[in-house]
Amino acid sequence: MNSRVNSQRNIIDYAISSLLRRKIKNLSLLALYMLVVFVVASLIFFVQALKREARLILGDAPDIVVQRTIAGRHDLIPADYSRQIAAIRGVSNAAPRWWGYYYDPNFDANYTFMVPPADPPKKGTIWIGAGIARLLRGAQKGYLVPLRNAARKTMLLEVVKVFPADSELVASDLIMVSPDDFQTMFNLPKGFATDVAVTVANPQEIVTVAGKITEQLPGTRPILKSEMLRTYDSLFDWRGGMQVVILSAALLSFIIFAWDKATGLSADERREIGILKSIGWETTDVLLLKFWEGIAISMTAFTWGVILAYGHVFFFSAPLFEHAIKGWSVLYPRFRLVPTIDPYQLAVLFFLTVLPYTAATIIPAWLAATVDPDSAMRS
Amino acid sequence: MIELTHVSKCFTMGKSNQFKAVDDVSLTLRRGKVTILKGPSGSGKTTLLTLIGCMARPTSGRIRLYGIPAPGFIELPPTDGFDISSLPERFLTHIRRTTFGFIFQQFNLIRGISVLENIMLPAYPTGESHAVFHKRALELLNLFGITRLAASQVELLSGGESQRTAIARALINNPDVIIADEPTAHLDSTLSREFMDIIGGFKAHGKTVLIASHDPIVYESALADMVVDMRDGRITGTGRVS
Repeated sequence: MNSRVNSQRNIIDYAISSLLRRKIKNLSLLALYMLVVFVVASLIFFVQALKREARLILGDAPDIVVQRTIAGRHDLIPADYSRQIAAIRGVSNAAPRWWGYYYDPNFDANYTFMVPPADPPKKGTIWIGAGIARLLRGAQKGYLVPLRNAARKTMLLEVVKVFPADSELVASDLIMVSPDDFQTMFNLPKGFATDVAVTVANPQEIVTVAGKITEQLPGTRPILKSEMLRTYDSLFDWRGGMQVVILSAALLSFIIFAWDKATGLSADERREIGILKSIGWETTDVLLLKFWEGIAISMTAFTWGVILAYGHVFFFSAPLFEHAIKGWSVLYPRFRLVPTIDPYQLAVLFFLTVLPYTAATIIPAWLAATVDPDSAMRS
Repeated sequence: MIELTHVSKCFTMGKSNQFKAVDDVSLTLRRGKVTILKGPSGSGKTTLLTLIGCMARPTSGRIRLYGIPAPGFIELPPTDGFDISSLPERFLTHIRRTTFGFIFQQFNLIRGISVLENIMLPAYPTGESHAVFHKRALELLNLFGITRLAASQVELLSGGESQRTAIARALINNPDVIIADEPTAHLDSTLSREFMDIIGGFKAHGKTVLIASHDPIVYESALADMVVDMRDGRITGTGRVS
């Protein structure tokens, strides 16, 4: 047993010394390998963390959002629909919601306007998200924000509250207003709302309640929370997918590079294998040597790639990706993602990077190691 | 003792370019003696060395080793010889590693690593503790007067220093038999004589030495107990059997 351990340790020693001999080749391979692991792991961490945030945010979302559609397009819904919906058995609450988007040409930015469901700000006052506060050069309580309403008249709204930074993921571009100001801002017809938020007491009855709503109120479209979750999931998957498509080019070039480096045993390496065999190394010893060399490179690259990706995403909020997958607005939310690691995805990354490289190292070595040891005598 | 009986080695068997490198060789190498295989290039000396040194198997004939502890998988009393002609590669490697030390014509040192590491290489897969064979390697460095070169890269060595490193490597596993293929081919006369002095030391320590050479300094040396003349794969004469 001791002898086996000694033999392994000696071969590992030699593998490391062997790697150090070809410093430039191995360091360039390691750097490229690490870069690919870093980018793919960053993407995995980022998408996983965003999905988690989305699930948390939607946890507080209403069970059903009822919209009205005309000719297949979203239209304003009569606010008194909420009373009719509330009367349906199983519905515990139904309330109209007012929200919309405002384009600010001064900053080339879009804001999300919303009337809070309870205790809205007083007329003439607003609550703003941290992204907007930054855009307005550090706007704080008491700051007057000039906004142009639907009648092209300027409204001066006073900031009375700035949302804290920890809500930035959802509230970065948000402006909360009073119902009156919302109506004036967008010239909304009286008695109409954007949609109706419905809460159902028993989650088992959500689909039944949705059916009853469409039956009683033709022209409405109930959207279930489960559908929203699914949409968010596919949205992030799609965006993640886009990145993967782009990165697949990098991955492919890495595979070609690694294959070339790992499989193309140089004349020197072949000669070395011949010498080792002639001085008493078995084919399995040579394979072990190449295995440990492959493992040392791939495990180092994998470990460092994953560690750097973790720091990039969870400590620096993924600066390399934010423009690509954080959103389309100019108001990029500043937030720190909560570390979320999916062991399954990491395992997939491990098997897609470490195993192919190790195999690519061993196969040519095996081909070279099966030559007769007397080849060294004739070199 | 190593006994060869009607040993032949054919390359590219069954093809139009079939070539018989060793042809019906029968020979006995005595323990503790120096045997020289002498002959021109292409006479089959190197092939015969590879067959005796378990690097290749003969196409026909038998090679038996006597007085050498048989590997654990062959249950024989140590006095009885055992046939190595048809052993699987794994077993041949084991015998090669424990019984034979090789000195190659080109020295076959591995570039990029130190003299000390080169010397220790044959011991790595044996399962012996690193500390033990490291100490032995230092002793060998000292024995051959190259201690100061321990950390040097082998590509920076002179011919004589490379030769000594190769000899030290051949001895690291303390083999019973030393096999050298044209060891003086790249050495001048002084270094060749120094090499023969080292061979004299092996002989004094009871090692069996087998050298293939067409250098008169080697085959005319007083150390040679037997000189075997070879040509076209066959033994054409044997001399000086003491």
